[in-house]
Amino acid sequence: MAGKLNDDKFDEMLGQSLRRHSEPVPADFTERMLKQIQEAEQRQILARVVLQERLSLAGCIVFSVLAAVGITVFPGRIAGLLRSIAAGFAERGGAYIDGLRQTISIETIRSEWQLYIILALVLGFAAYCVVDMLVGDRLRMA
Amino acid sequence: MVEKICEKRQKKKWLRLLRSGDHEAFAEFIEKYKETVFLCCRRLGLREDEAEDVASETFLAAFKAIGRYSGQAELSTWLWTIAYRQGINYLRKNRKQGQLKAEPDEQVSDSKEQGPAAAAQSREREKIVWESVERLPRLWAMAVILYYREEKSIADIAKIMQIKENTVKTYLFRGRDRLKQVLAAAFEEDIDNGR
Repeated sequence: MAGKLNDDKFDEMLGQSLRRHSEPVPADFTERMLKQIQEAEQRQILARVVLQERLSLAGCIVFSVLAAVGITVFPGRIAGLLRSIAAGFAERGGAYIDGLRQTISIETIRSEWQLYIILALVLGFAAYCVVDMLVGDRLRMA
Repeated sequence: MVEKICEKRQKKKWLRLLRSGDHEAFAEFIEKYKETVFLCCRRLGLREDEAEDVASETFLAAFKAIGRYSGQAELSTWLWTIAYRQGINYLRKNRKQGQLKAEPDEQVSDSKEQGPAAAAQSREREKIVWESVERLPRLWAMAVILYYREEKSIADIAKIMQIKENTVKTYLFRGRDRLKQVLAAAFEEDIDNGR
């Protein structure tokens, strides 16, 4: 019986019949799906905000701890550095960068590079925290 | 010609919106493909509630990944791949992958050879064909639906089902052969009548 069937005709009929089939879909599936997507998006935004806030908090804590450790371990150096920066600001004004370059000479950096790395990290993280606190939301929205 | 160009441009614009996460464009996407996704889920043997869950997961995954859709594969093929993977993962998680065996259940195949033929007078041909496809082993049915209904190429079907092209050809050959046996009587009448 099957042998009598023309192959091409059979394929055509099979294709036609299958294409005509419509699969039932629950009513308002699209609306429910969109609602789910909106909720998922909101959850994602919330998770991102929470993560940023946690990072900021961690930054503040790490900054404070490192500052405290720095002051305890290298009190003279920290005081000298801060004094020299302050002096650079106060005395040289606009030429502060030049002054800073003089104050923190390459030789000083070479001999105390660990301290400067810690300070750079701490200041960088602190700057990130400040930027995030002030304009983080605007940047995220954009 | 002009209409075709306009249509192409509109499709490009829609795809751009879709990739950017536009909700309206995504609603249109869901409307367009929800039937396909449910079809995939149900053919994998998922129950109604399971099919709805997996369909939702599929569209959520599609929404998250649409930004990375390169446009190399057809959008429907891309979605079929996600839906199929979601379905298979669901079956794996719930240890139901046994229902995907590629060999026919002899008892079922015996009953179906009589079923459609006997019902041919009272039912529409499409219904008979669909019911016969539904009674095929799930992987055969999936290959048959993708090839004959969705008009996917063998390579695309292999990609969607994550199997070799030769395996797809085997499923198609066996599925078609089985359908031909089952549907011979019903179809012959139509052919004889010149329909």
